[in-house]
Amino acid sequence: MTTRTCRSRAAILARLSAYLDGEIPAAECATLKRHCRECSRCRTLVGGLCRAVGMCRRAGAAPLPAVVRKRARQSVRRLLSA
Amino acid sequence: MSGDGDDDRRAAEYAGLVRAAAGGDREALEDLLVRAQEVAFRFSFLVCGHTEDAEDVMQDALLKTYRHVARIRQPEAFRTWLYRTVRNACLMKRRRRVGEPSHLVSLEQGLPDGDGGFAAIDAEDAGMRPDDAAINGWLGKRLRAALNSLPPSHRVIVFLREMEGLSTREVARVTGISEANVKTRLHRARAMLREQLEGR
Repeated sequence: MTTRTCRSRAAILARLSAYLDGEIPAAECATLKRHCRECSRCRTLVGGLCRAVGMCRRAGAAPLPAVVRKRARQSVRRLLSA
Repeated sequence: MSGDGDDDRRAAEYAGLVRAAAGGDREALEDLLVRAQEVAFRFSFLVCGHTEDAEDVMQDALLKTYRHVARIRQPEAFRTWLYRTVRNACLMKRRRRVGEPSHLVSLEQGLPDGDGGFAAIDAEDAGMRPDDAAINGWLGKRLRAALNSLPPSHRVIVFLREMEGLSTREVARVTGISEANVKTRLHRARAMLREQLEGR
C-alpha cells in the first residue's frame, strides 16, 4: 500500500491508544503492525506516538532531584520526632 | 506499557505499606510519608507548574497521610486517596494564588523582622528554591514544555496514567470523570504530545 492511498489511517488513529495500552486483540495488533510495515505515514505516526508515550513513562520512573528527596526525608524525621 | 497487572502491583505495594505502617512499623511509615511527598512534588511540578507551591503541597500531603494512615479502612484505596488529596491541595493553592496580594516578598529580601525591616533567611531553612537548577533541569525542558502545552484537564490525565502508572479506573476515581472520558482525553493528549515532541 502506498502512502497516498492509505485508507487505514483513520481506523489506526482511532485504535492507537488501545494499541498502546495493549487492549486490542492479538489479531488486530498483528494487522496494525503489518500495515505499518507497508505504510510509511502510519509507521511515522505510530512511531512518534510510541516515542512520546515512552518518554513520559521513562520520566515517571526518573528519580526526583536530590534536594527534593532530602527535604522529604527531613520533613518526615521532624514530624516523627515531634 | 502499563498494564493492569502493573497497576495492581503498585496499588498492592502501597496497601502493604499502609498496613505495616498502621501496625506500628516505623520504617514502613517513613517510606509511605516520603512517597506521599514525592507524589505531591511531581504533581505540583508537572501538572500545576508552580515550583514555588511544591513545598507547601508536600507538607500538606505529609500531614494528611500521617493522620490518615492510623484510621484507614481500605488500604487498597490508599493510592487513589493520595492522588486525590494531592490534586485537591494543588487546586486549593491555585485558588488562593488568584486572591493573593500583588506584592510578594522575595527570598532575597527575607522575612519581616517585626521592626519594619527584613531578616535574612538562613540558607539551610530556605528549603527548595524555585530557581534551583537541579529542580528546573529535572526531566528536561522539552518534555516539560510539551506537557505545559496541554490543557490542564488533559495534562493531569497524562501525568496520572503515563507517568504515575495509575489504571484508567484509578484515574477516573482521582479526577471524578468517567473511564470513557479518561480514555478520550488520553487519546487526544497523546496525539498533542506527539505533535509537540516531534515538532509537527
